[in-house]
Amino acid sequence: MLASVVLASAQTPGSGAQGTTVPGAPGSGTRPAGGAGEPATHGPAVYPPALVESGGSLFQQNCAFCHGRDAGGGETGPDLTRSRLVAEDVGGDKIGDVVRNGRPDKGMPSFNFSDPQIQSLMAFIHSQRNKAFSKKGARKGVDVSDLQTGNVQAGKQYFDSNCASCHSPTGDLAGIASRYEGLQLEERMLYPKDAKSKVTVTLPSGETVTGTLTYLDEFTVGLTDASGTYRSWPAKSVKYTVDAPVNAHVEQFSKYTDDDVHNLMAYLQTLR
Amino acid sequence: MKFPKSALLLAAGAVIAIACDGRASFAQDVNAAMLANPPADSWPGYHGDYSGKRHSSLTQITPQNVKDLGLAWAFQTGQIAEIKSSPLLVDGILYFTVPDNIWAVDARSGHQIWHYIYPPNKGLHIGHRGVGMYKDWLYFMTPDAHLISLNAKDGTVRWNVVVADVTKGYWTTMAPLIVGNHVLVGVSGDFDNLSGFVRSIDPETGAMQWQWDSTPPVGTPNQPTGGMTWMTGTYDPALNLVYWGTGNPTPVLNGSTRPGDDLYTCTIVALNPETGKLVWSFQPSPHDTHDWDAVETPVLVDGDFHGEQKKMLMQTSRNGYFFVLDRTNGKNLLTSTFGPVNWSKGVDPQGQPIPNPAKEPAPDGRLIAPDEGGMTNYRSPSFDPKTGLFIVDAHPSYSVYFAKPADGTYGWAGADYSLWGKGVIEAIDYQTGKIRWTHELGPGGSGAGVLTTASGLAFTGDATGNFLALDTTDGKTLWHAGSGSRIQSSPITYELDGRQYVLTSSGGVLFAWALPKPI
Repeated sequence: MLASVVLASAQTPGSGAQGTTVPGAPGSGTRPAGGAGEPATHGPAVYPPALVESGGSLFQQNCAFCHGRDAGGGETGPDLTRSRLVAEDVGGDKIGDVVRNGRPDKGMPSFNFSDPQIQSLMAFIHSQRNKAFSKKGARKGVDVSDLQTGNVQAGKQYFDSNCASCHSPTGDLAGIASRYEGLQLEERMLYPKDAKSKVTVTLPSGETVTGTLTYLDEFTVGLTDASGTYRSWPAKSVKYTVDAPVNAHVEQFSKYTDDDVHNLMAYLQTLR
Repeated sequence: MKFPKSALLLAAGAVIAIACDGRASFAQDVNAAMLANPPADSWPGYHGDYSGKRHSSLTQITPQNVKDLGLAWAFQTGQIAEIKSSPLLVDGILYFTVPDNIWAVDARSGHQIWHYIYPPNKGLHIGHRGVGMYKDWLYFMTPDAHLISLNAKDGTVRWNVVVADVTKGYWTTMAPLIVGNHVLVGVSGDFDNLSGFVRSIDPETGAMQWQWDSTPPVGTPNQPTGGMTWMTGTYDPALNLVYWGTGNPTPVLNGSTRPGDDLYTCTIVALNPETGKLVWSFQPSPHDTHDWDAVETPVLVDGDFHGEQKKMLMQTSRNGYFFVLDRTNGKNLLTSTFGPVNWSKGVDPQGQPIPNPAKEPAPDGRLIAPDEGGMTNYRSPSFDPKTGLFIVDAHPSYSVYFAKPADGTYGWAGADYSLWGKGVIEAIDYQTGKIRWTHELGPGGSGAGVLTTASGLAFTGDATGNFLALDTTDGKTLWHAGSGSRIQSSPITYELDGRQYVLTSSGGVLFAWALPKPI
């Protein structure tokens, strides 16, 4: 029922100030479909107030419960005003993709918005981004220059005794500081959220299947094999072992001092 | 499909039998007596009864037969907003919400009776916990911080009063608590330096009866603002005390302008419902700088504590600590942690954690456990009297917290980022704080609350959207059903026409589960 979220941004507040009670069946025409109004404006960083306004209404009703009312992030959704994707978005080309397709792996649903609605959302999010740095009470951000308090030598030492069994400065981490910087680098250093795990499933026949772990709960284990094919089994009917090197990052959390984190960050930033 | 004539006759007979039997008294009067002791065919308040135990005496669904549990019906809101509310059940009708919306749904069939939509407004639509009910009237809080009273029969509005000023940064999400002749409401608002309060409102007129402010007036030097009151409290009719948790101080991540404990933020308070006067307080997070509201359900339990009969209050707090208090006076009986906590220097003689200044947000970041979402959050825990277990959806987690002078001292005043977390159902022995069993829910964490029943079942949900029924004694899974979306609410249960239903929700869909009945 994605279409039903199409809210009447054209509806003026005050029309039916006491609200509307709709008897009868669910979805029985309770949501007048509203056009977001004005056509797209590409390029300029300043958007027509009416477009921003209608995007804002759409955002409040559909996005704010995860991304916060000012797009500055919430309990479950990231800060869009500091998102790299938003920074790189031109006229909704990237925002539109994410909104229409969702990010099922991260819990974001897809939204069946019209082009004008996407344009209004884009205008709202970009204007929030512009505002974020001046807005008084919103969530703030982290600059690259904030993360320069560590000691490179101490960081290298920490790396050698705690990280080097899995990582190498000339191997997987070669040039890491050229690919990521600042907060993004620190977040990846502490816990790389996109790290993949491997799973080996042993079927009742004795056959084993190995692949990238794609799904796992108490009841189902799913993998994607080398050919890109997804396969799954009831967890009880097979034996499986998960190889999740990323868990070493979880074990590290309780061992770090804050200095360790800053030092390690200083060292990683030398790997250009 | 063609029904045999005899079956139709049989069905008609059944309807008559029910009408003469279980529903002989037509209307349940939602008054003080009913709210204090809800019948099995009702769930008249957010927590069910006043205690916040979210424990039901119903025993039709058991550990032995729960494997046969099936879908009785589902109701689709057709909304993107996730259901975070607990439905009320009165006279066979369920009332539940998402922001701006109330539905009245037949609890037997799941069909819609009415749907109320509040006009578009500028309040934060972050979530909604449900309505309150007194006599024939519903009480509903709006994103723009109004309280409206509606006729439960048809959803028409009786009155609409402003509780707080949305333009200043307030919003509301909570389900009002009805105590006697009082509608008790609270507010939200973290992005501005505002005072939190609990307000008592006349159920008939909407007029204010009293207000208790959690922080001094805005602008008082060296004092906090904040202390939002965004979760429904609990009530002890015998002591005539209302128990309410307050939220974090503002500025949120920067404590420099509010030295000291920042009373009454991150505090459990006992209030007199007639006057709003503070009777006692206990502060789970003195001088909080991590957004750890202490609004999680203050669960009221009467029972043995180390050989003495006690009237207790228990809370698994967002900051990672589990507290048992004597609820007659607020004195601490037990403090323990229920997951990784790295921000305190231990516990003071009053049982309150001592914040470590070195773990306050800093310009170059501090690694903090738990994360901002906390070790648990608004979803209800449950207390099972038979096993003495306090069962909570826990969220072990790590994060980094930043604050620098340039971030100022208004509103959030910093930035924080969750690094990692997972969901675990934990069964805490309230006499020792020891965790007797755990049940892993998956990476990220679950948003499902917990309901226990007297038959020995604990209903909840996992991180991937499976509804679960666990054995309360050991946490083993006895039943599950994939729901297709994230779970963000706490289950309820009731019995109608001799059939026990368990209600859960995920995404925008409400599910009613029951044992199969003969066709």
